Parts: sequence; C-alpha cells; structure tokens
Amino acid sequence: MQLLSFIFRRILHLLPTLLFILIVVFVLVRLLPGDPASAILGDRALDADVERINRELGLDRPLYVQFFAFLKSVVTGNLGDSIHLKIPVAELIKKRLPVTIMLTVMAALIAVVLALPLAFVAALKRTKPADAAIRGVFQVGLSMPVFYSGLILLTVFGAKLRWFPVGGYGDGFLDHIYHLFLPALTLAFSLSAILMRSLRSAIIDVLDAEYVQFAKAKGIGPGLVLMRHVLRNALISTVALFGLSIGTLLSGAVITESVFAIPGAGRLMIESIYGRDYPVVQGMTIALAVLVSLTFLLTDLVQAWLDPRVTR
Amino acid sequence: MKFLSVAALSAALMLGGLEAATAQERGGIMHYGRYADSIFIEPVLNDANVDIWIMANIYETLIVPTKDGKGLLPGLATEWSVNPAGDAVTLKLREGVKFSDGTPMTAEDVVWSLKRASNPDNGIWNFLVASIDTVTAPDALTIDIKLKHSDPTILSALSVFNTAIMQKARFEAMPGDTDQAKAEEYAKNPVGTGPFILESWDRGATMKLVKNPNYWGTGEDGKPLPYLDGVTFEVIPDDATRILKLQSGDLDGAEFIPFARVAELDADPDINMELFPSTKVNDIIMNVRPMLDGKPNPLMDDKVRQAMNYAANKDALVQVVTYGVGTPLTSFMSASTPMHAGDTPLYPYDLAKAKALMAESAYPKGFETSILILAGNQDDLGIATALQQMWGPLGIKLEIKQMDNASRTALYRKGTFTMRTGGWTNDIADASQITSYYAYSPLIDSRHTGWKNEEVNKLYEASQSEMDVAKRTKQFARIQEIFNSSGPILSMYATPYPVALRNNVHGFFQIPLGNNIFRETWIAK
Repeated sequence: MQLLSFIFRRILHLLPTLLFILIVVFVLVRLLPGDPASAILGDRALDADVERINRELGLDRPLYVQFFAFLKSVVTGNLGDSIHLKIPVAELIKKRLPVTIMLTVMAALIAVVLALPLAFVAALKRTKPADAAIRGVFQVGLSMPVFYSGLILLTVFGAKLRWFPVGGYGDGFLDHIYHLFLPALTLAFSLSAILMRSLRSAIIDVLDAEYVQFAKAKGIGPGLVLMRHVLRNALISTVALFGLSIGTLLSGAVITESVFAIPGAGRLMIESIYGRDYPVVQGMTIALAVLVSLTFLLTDLVQAWLDPRVTR
Repeated sequence: MKFLSVAALSAALMLGGLEAATAQERGGIMHYGRYADSIFIEPVLNDANVDIWIMANIYETLIVPTKDGKGLLPGLATEWSVNPAGDAVTLKLREGVKFSDGTPMTAEDVVWSLKRASNPDNGIWNFLVASIDTVTAPDALTIDIKLKHSDPTILSALSVFNTAIMQKARFEAMPGDTDQAKAEEYAKNPVGTGPFILESWDRGATMKLVKNPNYWGTGEDGKPLPYLDGVTFEVIPDDATRILKLQSGDLDGAEFIPFARVAELDADPDINMELFPSTKVNDIIMNVRPMLDGKPNPLMDDKVRQAMNYAANKDALVQVVTYGVGTPLTSFMSASTPMHAGDTPLYPYDLAKAKALMAESAYPKGFETSILILAGNQDDLGIATALQQMWGPLGIKLEIKQMDNASRTALYRKGTFTMRTGGWTNDIADASQITSYYAYSPLIDSRHTGWKNEEVNKLYEASQSEMDVAKRTKQFARIQEIFNSSGPILSMYATPYPVALRNNVHGFFQIPLGNNIFRETWIAK
C-alpha cells in the first residue's frame, strides 16, 4: 500500500515537470537564430520562398498563439509533422526512439555486468595489484572519448576480425542485438567505470560495518554474507547513481549513433536542432523527458525494494 | 594437327578473355554509402542536393546532360529544335516509353509535368523554366513549347531534374487538396520512367532501389538496362565509418571522401579513388555595405579587398585544406560552367602588392574583422586559420567565429555578417544561375553582400534573352571581368566530387551538376 501510494505520488509529480519542460523547449528552440525555411533552403534561399514556407508552417503567427496550438496538439496526441521529412512526428518517434532505448538498455546491462563483479574483486582485494589493475583499466575506459573507442572497436572487431557488423542496425530483433553489441559496449565503458568506483567504495564501507562483523561472528559463510548483507546495502547508492547517469548515457548515444550509423533518436534530435525542425525537437524532447522520468521512477522503486525506508 | 588445335584453343581463350574484359556483367546489388539520407524524392517540390543527386535514377527528363555536363543528349525526347527567334521549342518524344508501373508515357504526361514545373506556386525551381508560356501536344509524339521571350537556357533547363516527367493520372488520383499533399502521397511510391524503382526506404538507415523491368534503355549487349539488379543506399554520416565499410568490402562505393583520406584510398589496390569534375567552387563572401554594426565597414573599400585577395595564397590553401585535390579558381564560377571565362588563377599570391594596396586604401594600418565558419567543419577551420595568418602582415586581425548552419544563414540573409566561408554548385549547365546569385544584385543583393554594379545588372538581363552564342559569351565574359576584379568574393579553389569505388565497379559516374548516375553501372564478380 505504501509502495503504491509512493508510485502514485511520483507519477503525479511528473505532470508539472513535463509542462515545465514543454515550455522550456518551446521557447529555447525558437530563441535560436535562424528559421526552418532558411535552414532547409540554405544558400539558395530567396526571400519570397522563405516567407512562403514560414507562412505555410504557421511560423508568422504570434508566439503565444503558436504555443497554445502546440499545447493543444500535445494534449490531443497529435505532435504535428516534421518540417523537413514531412512525416508525422509520432511516427518518427515510434521508429527511432526504440532504437536508442535498446542501445542504452544494452549499454546499461553491459556496464552492470562489467562493473558489478569487478567492483567486488577490487573491494575485496583492495590495495593489492588486482585492485590497482582493475581501477587502471576502467580509468582508461572512462577517459577515452566515445568516437575514438567506438572507431577502434569497429575497426578491430568489425572490419578486421569480422566478428561483428561494421555499423548499421540490421533486420529483426536478434539481428538488432547483434548490430548493437559493439556500440553498446562503447557506450558502456564510461558508465561502467563510474559504477565500478562507486560500488567499490560502497562495498568497502559496508564491509567495515558493524552488522557485517556481527554476521561473520555469527558464523555465516562469507558467500552468504556477501550476497545477503553486503550487496544489498552497497547497491543502494550505486542504483541512485545509475539512475542519474541515464542522461549521460543518452547524450553519449548521440555520438555513438553517428559513428556506428544507427538510425536512432539521438541522431534525429541533433539533425532536427540543426535544421530548426521545431515539431520534431519538441516532440522528441517530451518523449525523452517521459522516458527519463520513468527511469528515475524505476530506480527509485529498486531503491525502495532494497531499502524500504525510502518510501516514507 | 596438334599444333593447330593448341593454336585454336589459345586463340579461343584469348578472344574469350578479351571479351570478358570489356563485356558488362549483369546482376548484383550495389551498396553505396551516403553521408546523409534523402528527404523528399519529388522533382518539383524538393529542395536539397541529397534528393537531386539520386533522382535521375528514378525520374527522367526530356533532355539529358552529357557526362561532362556541358552538352545535351536525347532522353525522353529524341530530337528537338528551337525556332530562330528563340521563343519556341519543338520536341519529338521517344516511342515506347513506359512508366515503372507499366503504363505508357503519353504526351499528356509531358505537357502536365512541364506546366507543373513552371508553375510559380510550386516549389523553388520554377524560375529555371519561368520563360515557359504554353505547352501543347499537336500529336501523340510532339511537344510544342511557346516561351514568353527568347530564352537561350531553355534546352539546358529541360535537362534539369525539376522538369522530369511524372504520371499525370496517378498524381491527380492521389488524396489531398493541394499540390503539396498529392506530391507527398505520390512520393511514397514514386512512379517515373527511370532505370530504377524505389522498393523500400528505412529512413535514416537504408534506401533500396531495384531495377525497373519496364525501362526503355538498352545496354551495349542489346538487353534492357540497368545492368544491376538494384542499388542499396546506406546512410553513414561518419566519414571514418563510411570509409571503413568500403575498405572491408561491405560497401561497393562511398561518397564525400574527406580530402585528407584521398591519397590513402588512391594507394589502396582494391579501391578506385575517383575525383569527378564538379561545378563546386569554394570562396569567401564579404559584406561590402558602407556601414556594418553602426561603424564604417573596411571591406567596402575595393583596395582592401584586392589586397586581401593578393595576400591569400590559394596554392597554399589548396595544399593545407584540400591536400592538393583542389585547383585554384580562374573565375568566380567553375571552369565546368558553360560561358566560363579566364585561364589564369585569380589574384596570384603577391604579398608586396597586397601591402602596397593596403597602404593606398583608407585603412593603411589594417583593421579588426571576423569570419563566420561552420562549427565542427574541419575544412572551414583550416581555411579561416590559414587566412588569419595570411592577412596578419596586412594588419588585419581576423576573429574566427564558429556557428551552426542555421544561425549563420540567419545573419547572412539579414546582411549583418562580416565575412563567411561559402561555395556553390550549379543546378543547371549554364552560367545564368550562379551569376544571378553572385553578381546580379536584384535577386539576393549579390549573395547578400550589398554589392551592386549597374553594368553587370544590364549585361545579365540582356544575356537572359540573347540567342547569339558569341554575343552571350561576350556578355558573360565582361560580367566575369568586372566581378572578378571588383566583386565582394575572394575566390579560392574548385574541388571535385571525391567518390571511392571498389575496383570491380564500372560505369558509375557523377556529373558536374552532382547527379549520381547508376544507369550503366555494373559490378564484376
């Protein structure tokens, strides 16, 4: 019951946040110099053509009129058409967002698989060579820019060894996973480094805690101590960090999508901002905002499960 | 006996080998890597190179440009004639042409397509055929076009993508009240007469073209074109990734190879690094209005601009920015443009002369100014940094401002920019388009610079209806003479289209106007 009301309260908090984001993105994107028509036509643009196109797009109406039209469209679920691509924004989001979600979920999973066991090893063997080696390798992964590490992985495992495809997205669910493995790995590097360090510190703290000493004194085997007492408590702060890192993952996805030629939402977002494609920028921002908020909710739920004191 | 049979066998083998070396092979899908996806594959309403450059494979025009972009070949029309007054064109249509859906192409389709293309309400390309007054079909294979005035460019205009022939009945049957709405529906499954059909389009990722079974053209073996079963475009925005895929054999061709990688790919035994001649020019556009930002504008001074031109070492720029791939410009328009005049590079490097000109100008000690370049663009940064150093000795302090394209275009169109990197590719094989944008002030204030020359304006207007080729050539020669010596542009270099193909790809080319032609492409197994 407490959990349900917790979830309900959190979803309720989402609504004013979304409205705020709507206003901010609407204003921000229009504050940028330039307009869609000039962006489309480029150097060939003649004044008459630019004015005509902007008029057809309703961009000559006062801002507050445009905003209310936008609000209305959001509420009725019609996000308008892309100015550039001339297809409905909703269709674009349905096509491109799942790609980015799949990429970030895979990256998150890989990051956890890399970070979790190695954090334990590093914590349990702290100050020994193994600890230093693990921390060193992850430090390198953290500092390498995505476009660099991505290209190296692509060259070695894609072009040279032919173990993985050289970019692209593929056809069919399993093919998608196959194509997304290398880009997800690239994305996972920096996140796994952050997770590993945080988890390692948390484990070290917990290992020294009184209740762990008590558990050991009671005679509980080391494995059980780790699983039942150490892990659950150490994870709490790391899960919070994980949730907050989603934003970083999503922005890393933009570059990764470019390097690996993946038709995702990140690339679409950048292209739409450059092209001043207002409907796509607005629609995609809302979709991403909802997505990120749900991710926060999910991580909060996991935290609540780990530590029920959070729900109060 | 044995000798004869051995000789016969070797002769047969030799001849067979010879034949294999020249005969086209049929079949296979060509995978081509593009840097960006198409947007709207529609002849009249498109507005981007990414659409124009592949459209000729789906839609065809009455007249077709030659490989070097300067001449004209029969397309959907087999012959044509212009009357002596230059205000009427008659064309004979090719017999037996079918659209990709099997429907025969009729004179009515042609009449309707040309009328739609010249309608001033439709799109941004109608100006190319603005001289069209009426289009009629006196019989099933003849088209009569009457022009409002004599137009020396009309034949070239009929080879431009916006006059491609579409199917009238199919278009009008599309749902929607406006031309735009119908065009969007039509473009979902485009029906043209070209060698390929659009089979599927996964936006942002892949576009698949397949051979048109109803195509009228025949190959050298007498069988129908195209040789390929299809072309698959893969969108790979990252240059390094695109080249990697080509080198690994996943792609058969890749466009827009960065100049820095040209030499490397040229040395690759498996790759054919093509540098197709283009109409691409690269220049610096300077605002020459008397006042800028409330202050007197130094760039308004002719001597200042000439000094800046002499101090800019184009050969050095070609080396530093294009790694030797470019060639210094001999006029503001590319040498591939008909009516181009000039055979020596403009303003050969002469620092002493530049300093002398600055001393004579109103700004002998130099001044501070800025240049707008595209953020993240390596070429632009290279150019701006080089110019910064080259203009230093003249006392000119150049601030480099990076911004995204849309922001820069806003300042550019307002006419409040100081200087920017610029360029141009022609959309028609004629000097009129580039001249109208660069030198003819009534159109866009001479590339939004505020430059104006009455003699140039008069010459341009006269050239638009001058049918005598010699006279017209003289008009454009004079325009170029004036503009190149006193214009607001610093012309730098021309660059080709860098396309890398795997060695077994034959018959692909890109014309100077930019069109990628897959019609006669074949891949050796």
